[in-house]
Amino acid sequence: MHKSKKQSTHLPLFILGGIVLVILSGIVDELRVYQGATIAVYVIAISSIILLTGYSGQVSLGHGALMAVGAYAAAVLRAEFNVPIILCFIAAVLAAAVGGTLLGAAAARLSGPYLAGTTLALAIGLPSLANQFPILGGEQGLAFDVGFPPLALGEDFTQYKWYFWIAALAALISMWSVRNILNSAYGRSWRAGRGNEVAAQLAGINTARSKVLAFTISAGIAGLAGALLAMTIGTVSPSAFPLALSFSLLTGAVLSGISTLGGVIIGSVVLVAIPEIADVVAHRLGSSESVTTNLPGLIVSGLLILTVLFVPNGPVEQHRARKAKHEAAHNSTKK
Amino acid sequence: MKALQRRTLLTATAVLATVGLAVTALPAQAAEVGVTASQIKLGMTLPMTGTASLGYNKIPGAAKAYFDYLNANGGINGRKITLVVKDDRYVPTEAVAKTNELILKDKVMALLAPLGTANVKAVATSVNPARRGVPVLFVNTGFSGFADTKKYPTTYTVLPSYIMEAKIMGEYIKENFAGKKIGLLYQDDDFGIDALAGFKTAGVNFAVKVPYASGSQSAASAAGWITKFKAAEADVVILFGVSSATSAMLGTAAQLGYKPQWMLGSVGGDATTIKLTGVPAGVLYNAIGFSPVPATTDMTDEYVKFFSDIYAKAVPGSAFDLNVLLGMNTAFMTAQALKAAGPNPTRKSLMAAIDSKGATFASSALVPAGYSKTSHVGLTGYWVGKYAPTGDLAPIGGTYVTYTTDSGSGPVVKSTYKRPAMPAKGLPN
Repeated sequence: MHKSKKQSTHLPLFILGGIVLVILSGIVDELRVYQGATIAVYVIAISSIILLTGYSGQVSLGHGALMAVGAYAAAVLRAEFNVPIILCFIAAVLAAAVGGTLLGAAAARLSGPYLAGTTLALAIGLPSLANQFPILGGEQGLAFDVGFPPLALGEDFTQYKWYFWIAALAALISMWSVRNILNSAYGRSWRAGRGNEVAAQLAGINTARSKVLAFTISAGIAGLAGALLAMTIGTVSPSAFPLALSFSLLTGAVLSGISTLGGVIIGSVVLVAIPEIADVVAHRLGSSESVTTNLPGLIVSGLLILTVLFVPNGPVEQHRARKAKHEAAHNSTKK
Repeated sequence: MKALQRRTLLTATAVLATVGLAVTALPAQAAEVGVTASQIKLGMTLPMTGTASLGYNKIPGAAKAYFDYLNANGGINGRKITLVVKDDRYVPTEAVAKTNELILKDKVMALLAPLGTANVKAVATSVNPARRGVPVLFVNTGFSGFADTKKYPTTYTVLPSYIMEAKIMGEYIKENFAGKKIGLLYQDDDFGIDALAGFKTAGVNFAVKVPYASGSQSAASAAGWITKFKAAEADVVILFGVSSATSAMLGTAAQLGYKPQWMLGSVGGDATTIKLTGVPAGVLYNAIGFSPVPATTDMTDEYVKFFSDIYAKAVPGSAFDLNVLLGMNTAFMTAQALKAAGPNPTRKSLMAAIDSKGATFASSALVPAGYSKTSHVGLTGYWVGKYAPTGDLAPIGGTYVTYTTDSGSGPVVKSTYKRPAMPAKGLPN
């Protein structure tokens, strides 16, 4: 029907976004650049959750573990075989995707609380497996060094700016890919399966295979996020992928609007900004240490409750719905 | 389709808004970052919340208690010390983020007592305080690697290393338990690897060695460990693990009536932390333990008396335990380092002061510190004690017997170290 329009992939817009980010990274101070890199990592991780949960309708409480798989794959290749960094990131995607396929195969037979439980167990158990194999560096972890920025970028080019460039580029590429996958036949079959599995099957969709595919792609993206996270902290260790990470990703996804990719930045910014905002608030109020340390959790939980109560589909979706309604009303009055 | 474009546009705008988050202007450069005419700013990250925070979350309060006392008595050459504390929840990602805030936003002069091997390592790689010239004073881990001045040129350790501890335990076993069957419970990671290296250097032959994976310690797993120690007929069982492993083991052993001679490593031998896990302190009774600083109940010790008095006033109702004593002692050593760094301390002069005078700093520790121009090694030994029924570690027979050694192949010797007397009013001179 709208074939010519559907082929529009918005590539120029993403390229423009990239240019804006490059310029911005030159203006803001080092801390903001570092936070920008963290936001980019979250953007990737949360979009993997949105793809899986929002579009294919499968819940994962274990994405932190899949991130760990990607991070360890990248770090081992880098530390043991000195593999070029770009290949390390690709390996991270592939390794996590393999993990995702295995998990997805199990997940296709499970649903609801059983799936949540299985993935939760993974989040708890998998990272500490690293303690069992000396090659993975145990509790203190492995170094993951992406190296210094190329000299061509100038002497003032900081390490964090380099991290930011890599993470932001990865974020743009994955956002672009995810967006286009979601608008493809795969995305449509996921949504069909999520809406009504029986109806989707009657329409000729192999829902089991479609679910496993969603898990595989989502895991691959999460693996990339994991490797980038490892890059920003320079190391990989089991404690970098705690259960709390999986939960905060899910929180970020809900705040973003679980079924809208466009809102993913909202969730990412909230996760990075809340601790800092809490810090400022607590210091203004001159509160005690126990308040300062627990305030971020309180704010995030509060936001989560408010989101679920008032904008269950996320602020972006809400905005869009209101606008559509407004336009509809406008059009009808015109008539 | 228009809606889709709007969506992507919205995305781009959000990115723009994000990265543009309040561009903070750099303040006019003073003599040194974190040092003004009236203030010296230091920063600390450690777990304040979460399971790993048990016991450790008292350290900032303890350090602040001493700094407040110091500030009330003139500070360091008129400058007051401010300690900025951030919660890293024992997660390396958080430790890196918070350390970045400390260095780039709060602009602290030095980092103080960061905790946990994985965290300190992640910060060293990502934040790279060495490249920024930021001193990392007195890291709160026994991992011997941080004393490597090539890899971590601005980092100073304070706790004796796990290798030193294992070597000293080995020496004590040779002297007191010759011919007995020895069992070892150790954590199956670098913490345990360091311990095994130390025991090997000390020449200890174990009847049985039981590794456990970090995070796997529970009453059920403890029952399994006990079966192995019983089967090997171990007379002495060394618990070289974290507090939760010690408490799982001692709690379960008490229920099963299993009573070998226990020997506890200092990491897992803190009575307050064990009590917090819900195991009565009585299970510690008669176990052998190791500590670099005096017994926290020893009010005849001038440092313990002085620190506990300050702490009781600053944080009423909080027990004075090992973490508090170590926290205050670290603050006390930091104060001396800042004083020794000259009238206008800089990051460089602070580190130079520890290099040249650190070994002579007054400290509550009963063992010498190894700081020199070529070494960033902190305390170098332990005294051996036994736990009282209250769970407090006390010297055997009332006198402190101390041993010193290094993290290499050096011998373990009974120390003749005479601790410097406490400076007047506990202020750096």
